[in-house]
Amino acid sequence: MKEKSKKAGKIVLWIVLIAVAVIQLFPLIWLVDFSLGSSNEMFTNGLLIIPEKIRWDNYVKAFVDGNFLHYLRNSVLINTLAVIFVAIISIMAAFACHRMKWKLSGLVSTVLVMGMMIPIHATLLPNYKIYSALHMTDTIWALLIPYVAFSLPQGFFLMTGFIQSIPKELEEAAVMDGCGIYRIVFQIITPLLKPSIATVAIMTFLNNWNEFMMASTYLSTPTWKTLPFSVLEFTGEYSSNYAVQFAVMALTAAPAVIVYVLLNKHITKGVAMGAVKG
Amino acid sequence: MKKKLMASLLAAVMSVSLLAGCGDSGKNTQPANNTPNNTAQADNAGSDAGSDAGNNEGEKITIRLFSNLPDRKNGQGLVEQMIIDEYMAANPNVVIEVEALDEEAYKTKFKAYAMNGMPDVVSIWGQPSFLDEVLDAGVLAELNEADYADYGFIAGSLEGFKKDGKLYGLPRNTDIQLIYYNQKMFADNGWSVPTTYDELMALCAEIKDAGIIPMAMDGGDGWPMACYLTNILVKVAGTDYANIVRNAIETGDFTAPELVQATQILVDSAQAGMFQTGYDSQDYGTTMNLFTNGQAAMYCMGSWDCSMALNEDIAPEIRDNIRAFTMPVVDGGKAGANDIAAWNGGGYAVSASSEVKEEAIKFLNYMYQPDKLSKYGWENGVGMSAQDQTAYLTGNETELQKQVMDILKNATSVSGTPINDCGSAAFKTAIESKIQGVSNGSTTIEDFLAAMGAACE
Amino acid sequence: MRKLYSNKPVIFSLVLPGLLVFLFAVLAPICLSVYYGFTDYSGMGKAQLVGWDNYVKLFHDEAFGRALENSLLLAIGFICIQHPLAIIVAAVLDKLQGKAEGIFRCIYFIPNVISVAVIAYLWKFIYNPDFGLLNNLLKAFGFQGQVNWLSQQNAIWSVLIVLIWHGFGWGMLIYYTGIKNIDPVLYEAASIDGANWWTTFFRITLPLMKPVIQINVTMAIISALKQMETVYLLTNGGPNNSTQFAANYLYQQAFKAFKYGYGNAIGVVFIIICITVTVVLNSIFKDKQNA
Repeated sequence: MKEKSKKAGKIVLWIVLIAVAVIQLFPLIWLVDFSLGSSNEMFTNGLLIIPEKIRWDNYVKAFVDGNFLHYLRNSVLINTLAVIFVAIISIMAAFACHRMKWKLSGLVSTVLVMGMMIPIHATLLPNYKIYSALHMTDTIWALLIPYVAFSLPQGFFLMTGFIQSIPKELEEAAVMDGCGIYRIVFQIITPLLKPSIATVAIMTFLNNWNEFMMASTYLSTPTWKTLPFSVLEFTGEYSSNYAVQFAVMALTAAPAVIVYVLLNKHITKGVAMGAVKG
Repeated sequence: MKKKLMASLLAAVMSVSLLAGCGDSGKNTQPANNTPNNTAQADNAGSDAGSDAGNNEGEKITIRLFSNLPDRKNGQGLVEQMIIDEYMAANPNVVIEVEALDEEAYKTKFKAYAMNGMPDVVSIWGQPSFLDEVLDAGVLAELNEADYADYGFIAGSLEGFKKDGKLYGLPRNTDIQLIYYNQKMFADNGWSVPTTYDELMALCAEIKDAGIIPMAMDGGDGWPMACYLTNILVKVAGTDYANIVRNAIETGDFTAPELVQATQILVDSAQAGMFQTGYDSQDYGTTMNLFTNGQAAMYCMGSWDCSMALNEDIAPEIRDNIRAFTMPVVDGGKAGANDIAAWNGGGYAVSASSEVKEEAIKFLNYMYQPDKLSKYGWENGVGMSAQDQTAYLTGNETELQKQVMDILKNATSVSGTPINDCGSAAFKTAIESKIQGVSNGSTTIEDFLAAMGAACE
Repeated sequence: MRKLYSNKPVIFSLVLPGLLVFLFAVLAPICLSVYYGFTDYSGMGKAQLVGWDNYVKLFHDEAFGRALENSLLLAIGFICIQHPLAIIVAAVLDKLQGKAEGIFRCIYFIPNVISVAVIAYLWKFIYNPDFGLLNNLLKAFGFQGQVNWLSQQNAIWSVLIVLIWHGFGWGMLIYYTGIKNIDPVLYEAASIDGANWWTTFFRITLPLMKPVIQINVTMAIISALKQMETVYLLTNGGPNNSTQFAANYLYQQAFKAFKYGYGNAIGVVFIIICITVTVVLNSIFKDKQNA
């Protein structure tokens, strides 16, 4: 009797899990499916279509006309730089605020964390003004600076937690050996923080990789346009061709999804570590 | 393990960057017209210099053009790109960089640009809602009106681009508000073009019963619906249209009976199901595609969309059957069949702060040489330009073009600026949002009109 | 050691980059916003000081009220729909062992790594009444007629669905981690006592998850307040402001209606609201923990 109900329970459990998985995935399958057809096949009553002819040329168009590689390079470059800056700056600041002795450490620490409460979009208007006055719009800095600024509080917060968990004895030994502060920070502490750096890197990437609003406000020429912004531009350009629009959406989503699926164990671990602490 | 992860991540990042780097440099060698949104390279310009405004010597000049025509392969975007390519071929030292966004995004970005330094040549609209504040701020360069004496601009078409008698921009088209319809679909079902608004309503009911969307309406953006309201108002008020609208905007009093009646007609139409389900949230592209994919029998938009007839992305059995009519007369209205809603809206201007102002104006003038925008526009099925096009009639015009030409030729009066563009930018923003509410029944007509008045302050 | 660790120039050099970024990218724009919030600046030309005019107007602005209402609605939606679902799925997933667990977790998180730009466009198509996935799905189940997902009445709920779908994996993952951190000894004790899954869930899992739930609830409310990108691309606040949010509204006012000053006033109020809500929530939860 008990066995039977246990089995039934297990079946229900599987059904729930699969149902949720279908809900999460089906829209994406739908997207890829229709991106391989022609535009007028869109007007069907069916859920999915079997394209009359598989049209890879939709992807060729999306890839070539959508300047995919160029925008991908921009996205990768900007995000990698943002991650590096966030990691370095937050390690330095966290160390100074929580290891070193000075009066204002508490205040500075609060100020840096405060950034988490500021709604990023409220700074769109004034920042636009500032950047254009400094001729920084349409440069890499217009994205890099806000990306770093709005990931920094989280990075700082996480680093603080991690640094506090490192035993002080290590540093004491280093000081005995005559190490300066900079060497302690970069040669002793930083290597110990590797897993935390990975967490900060993942969180920063997730925050900024898909950012759209600032890119569309601060950038104008294709020089530094990132992938999410290119979608907007492309759908305008191909407004009468749904299939190509779908192809460009699928293509834009692909890099992040592929990297995620490949590294999903590490990423989930990083997110879990970051999110629970944050 | 962790080390491995970081290493593999880094490696992945590096290889992608490298790959992208290569792809990038490869891309730059492609002809400019394949990647219109990229910096076009001067080196692929042809050697047939010396034609037109040839300027071969001199340093490299980059002109930045900000355009509201993102589709560079059809219609006006194509025409614009053709002229750019031609100009660069004739002037190898000039590079024209294009940034193109669709209308809504364009206008937003334009205002952001206006704060501090704009691209050199920009799309503008010769209407108060767009131009008043722009001209007050002095961000556009003054043009010399006398230069354009023999460009063949239609009388009055420059007025919207002037302030205190000085000219700041040039109109690109004469926009006529049209109702496009699918001729074959009409013939197959025995439907005929309505001559009164009541007939239009009856026709829509019939089309709806046949399981087809009567009229595709871009209500998500707000302005096409405001143009539709304008069109009804023109039929109700006749040549008083402009006065009624000006008066209402100046006084903030929108209770004129003509305004009430026109709004009522719009609401009745929407409530009767004239437009597609969800019209108030759908954008331009979606709406047009309903029509061009045979889902809707009619489509309400300006004459610039005449280029549908030549768009390769649209199936031939549809694009060859696109025809148009103007808003039918309203019972008791003061306008006849030939009093039409039309205006000179879109155009180009040069930024006052441009570092290459002279070159930019030179390019602007090049575009407006009668055998450029007007001629190419005509040949590519775009509606009517703001210049005299009679010299370019080829006899190969699409049926749609001929119809539009006739509509304009037979017009007994022309309305001028649509209602949403007659007030300030804040008024435009308000009406284009509120009109969604009144048409879908969530706002009463009184509240709608009162809100219009409040937005005029 | 002590001397080394209180060397002022060194400390200064370590915190300087962080402070500079904060000053330049957060504090300076806020100050600028405060200034412009008191002007009638249109975005071009000259700005004129107008005192509290913008704030008085904002107080009576229906659309802004609607934006705050929508944020509240969204927050409630997150808390009442997304989070219970996420907790339950996380708890169920925890029962699963082996490879399947990882695969499901991976699938649930995928929408999260896709750009909002793609998500919003995709859902625009999914919601399309004529050929969208949802209406076709209803048709497949024999439902006749068209549901207008983005109508004035439905749009805000449709936006909520997109956000729940997009953010589900994130919430789930955090709860999942929280559950994994619960001492298995407790579960063993419960099962020895003969408690079934539901009792265990309500008696052990939920109470022990309280801190995680509190963090998640705070995050949900904040993200409901900050909502912009999805709405900007999916409905742009329409129809008739029914899906308006503060961030989207300030953007519209500044860059569309030529009211840069007013937009900044909205921004200032928006920042104040966000900070207040965060502080209040934190202190509520802190009190509870101490009690």
